[in-house]
Amino acid sequence: MIYKCKNCGGNAVYHPDKKKMYCPHCDGIDTEEEVKSSRITECANCGAPLEVSRYTSACKCEHCGSYMVLEERVEGEKRPHLILPFQISKEKAVKLLKQEFQNRFYTPATFLSAATLEGMEGIYVPFFLYDYLAELDYAGTGTKVRSWRRGNTEYVETSWFRVERNLEIDFDRIPVDASINMEDAMMDLLEPFDRKALEDFQTKYMSGFQGEMFSEGLMDLEPRAQEKARRDSEELLRETISGYTTIHADRKHLNLRRQTAAYALLPVWVYYYSYHGKRYTYFVNGQSGKVLGKTPVSKGKMFAYGGGLWMLLFAMLMFGKMILEVL
Amino acid sequence: MKGFLRRFKVCFILLGVLVVFWCLLVGLHGMTGRLKNGSRQNTECTTGERVFDKADVLTDKEEEKLRKLIAKRERQTGCDIVLVTLNESLKEYAYDRQEYVAYDKFVMIYADDFYDGHKFGYDKPQGNGVLLLDNLYREDDGWAYSWLCTTGKAEGKYTGSMIDHLLEKSYRWSKVSPYYGYRAYVNQFYHDMNGFGLFSINISVPLLVLISFLLAVVIVGINGGSKAGVKTTDARTYVKNGRAKINHTEDRFIRKAVTQHKIQTNSGGGSRGGGGSHHVSRSGVSHGGGGHRH
Repeated sequence: MIYKCKNCGGNAVYHPDKKKMYCPHCDGIDTEEEVKSSRITECANCGAPLEVSRYTSACKCEHCGSYMVLEERVEGEKRPHLILPFQISKEKAVKLLKQEFQNRFYTPATFLSAATLEGMEGIYVPFFLYDYLAELDYAGTGTKVRSWRRGNTEYVETSWFRVERNLEIDFDRIPVDASINMEDAMMDLLEPFDRKALEDFQTKYMSGFQGEMFSEGLMDLEPRAQEKARRDSEELLRETISGYTTIHADRKHLNLRRQTAAYALLPVWVYYYSYHGKRYTYFVNGQSGKVLGKTPVSKGKMFAYGGGLWMLLFAMLMFGKMILEVL
Repeated sequence: MKGFLRRFKVCFILLGVLVVFWCLLVGLHGMTGRLKNGSRQNTECTTGERVFDKADVLTDKEEEKLRKLIAKRERQTGCDIVLVTLNESLKEYAYDRQEYVAYDKFVMIYADDFYDGHKFGYDKPQGNGVLLLDNLYREDDGWAYSWLCTTGKAEGKYTGSMIDHLLEKSYRWSKVSPYYGYRAYVNQFYHDMNGFGLFSINISVPLLVLISFLLAVVIVGINGGSKAGVKTTDARTYVKNGRAKINHTEDRFIRKAVTQHKIQTNSGGGSRGGGGSHHVSRSGVSHGGGGHRH
């Protein structure tokens, strides 16, 4: 499926800044109409073959540059319940990336160059959002120790307490990425996404971006969501227990009851950069603008900086020494 | 290069300030030294020589360079600056003059006699001045001794730690060559006399090379290794209303116990540093000084 402009026939895309469908050819706003494609492997605009992987749900035609949504992969059981439309435009994502990395030492000259940044793409990454009602029951023994001196004698008083807590925690939409192409640790780091900005799924939001459907199942990913809920529950429990010198748990039971789960597409800008045969990946949260990624290191630059810095520091120390000697 | 200059702008500014400050200090020293000290008053000194290289460790050229340097530093400090090198046992010399003398004091007796005998002193005979005696000979105890004899205002200025610093510095440089060692003695004396004596630092150049290298490695390391990102969620991020509902909370006192123990007190000893030693030579002249052995 492709969204075409009713006025000029160009490819209408979702514009994050305008928060509307936009035709970059005639500047038309909300002038889109759906045009179904006959085959999933063919561009609905020019008919060129599309490079579609097993889990692609939206892509760009390499031939004419039009953005396609693969209907079959966003319908029926594969239809997402929710989508968080991109709120950060490509221009803003590039700016954020530059802000984050331009002051890093030793990055190669071509890093963040206009040519390489051109390849940055917005991707809707599949996530499952889990709701849990957690009940945490805790009982433990805490001690409070105080000491004082009288004469040359030190007294230590230890008091023992029975500590009991029962907490009820309502977890709302804990996200777990359902893409085998995305590194779990990076997707976790990219959080949080604003849950209030989630909307009911509409295919038009995908026009102008790449997209993936889930490649891992809801049940398979649930342990990751449960682990996040368990970790947060224990942290919240710790916050309620204070003032003790030591605390020892006698009983701790967490009961997690899943309320609902939703399939959602969340926005991520991805930038790839290759250096000396290694591929580096950078992510920008398409809603919050949070930036992630490790910068490549140019060894030549690093040694030049290190050598220069060494000489500079040595000169400073030498003059410092000479001044102290004169004084 | 531009990036480097921009990134370490503060370091370059600091370096510039240090260079300017050092130049001002050196200039100020030279000026105040010349104004303060005037011309040499002592006319009774038996010699115009300042470099007595009896151990013959210096070349003629090096001796000449030292003489020139000493002449300049004498005007700047208002002190006679004498250098004596020996390579002979001073045991008999010392025992002839004093019955009970420790090995490290042989050099002191010789240095005092040498200074007094030649009537050194910038302002008067046996007046302001300093003499470094470097004896290369190893006495029976296996050590070679050197001595710094200070007189007049040099005696007043020099503390024990300043003497240690000067001798240590001279000894360190003499490992490169004796000439460098004696040059360091003359220059350090000049700095000590004209400075405020606030610092008596003892940091070697190789140590500075090492420190600057390690600092550079640490800075490069910190800036080279970058984390992919930081976690920006917390325990409340996915909790409705941001807090847990507390159904039950109880902190019930069970029991208490008190223990006691005696506090042991220690009366410890301490260490004591030495100051500059002052004594009166056989000629009745007050000298300060300190020694070094290696």
